[in-house]
Amino acid sequence: MLRAGHKYQRETTHQSWPLLVFSVGGRRLAVKTVDVSGISLWNESIPVAGRTSFVTGLVRHGQTVLSVFDLAAFLRLTVQGSSPLCLRVKHPFGEMAICIDEEIPILHTFDPATIQPYQNKDLPAEGSYTNGLDEIPILSVSRLGSTV
Amino acid sequence: MDIREPMETPSPASPSRFLIVTLGGRYLALDAESICGLLTFEEAGNDKDPMIHGIMYGAINLADRLSLPNDRGGANTRIVLLSKREMRGSVRVTTVEGLLELSLSQVLPLPMQFRGPERHWYQGMILFAKSIALVLNATWVLNEEGSG
Repeated sequence: MLRAGHKYQRETTHQSWPLLVFSVGGRRLAVKTVDVSGISLWNESIPVAGRTSFVTGLVRHGQTVLSVFDLAAFLRLTVQGSSPLCLRVKHPFGEMAICIDEEIPILHTFDPATIQPYQNKDLPAEGSYTNGLDEIPILSVSRLGSTV
Repeated sequence: MDIREPMETPSPASPSRFLIVTLGGRYLALDAESICGLLTFEEAGNDKDPMIHGIMYGAINLADRLSLPNDRGGANTRIVLLSKREMRGSVRVTTVEGLLELSLSQVLPLPMQFRGPERHWYQGMILFAKSIALVLNATWVLNEEGSG
């Protein structure tokens, strides 16, 4: 369930940094592929009453249960499309599910030298890269949900 | 009511029984050890605190405490009488799905991403039907003052 970006089709080197580019509410975001454990269709989440900010529910994949981080709500956006996708990420506390737009994510490989600090404070990021006029933040998975 | 055998320290393999109920469209599980009885809405005297054998089981609005929709009382509404140590109370549930016996190892821990007081509200979760039943902590349910 991935498309390869044209940069990915070039020969990769040991210095390359593979990223998965996806969108939430039409906003482009990236995540390091080493932080991704899977992408699948979104199963309806089971809301859990609680007070942890943006950790709003659970999704069940067979015998596995994942907590849901509501990235769209965190960004004050709404997931787009009638068939959203489930991005499974490797959080230090265990795998976590994020509902993303139905647009198929793209694999890109970047030279780390092109990664720059992300100046905005609207989400935890490991840096960003520029795509035309857009600055695409690289999500810091380990810092998601770090505030209660 | 069943005559209970002397309490033993449960091992992960020893079976435990849980009453599976629905409330506000969610599955919840209650440890059968804390259940003293099940009443229909009429048997419980509608919205009053049920009095059984001279013992009052104060009504607890579990839907409010879990921020769930307050379902209207229907034909399947039941009042669950609870006790734990010296505490007693009763909760109204939408339906009773049944009693489930499973080993404690089948009670999954709440994912660590839930970091708020809800870790005290739930003792874990059980895979039920195609969904998940959250196991309520009866001590928290009955201890309204320490609702946290």
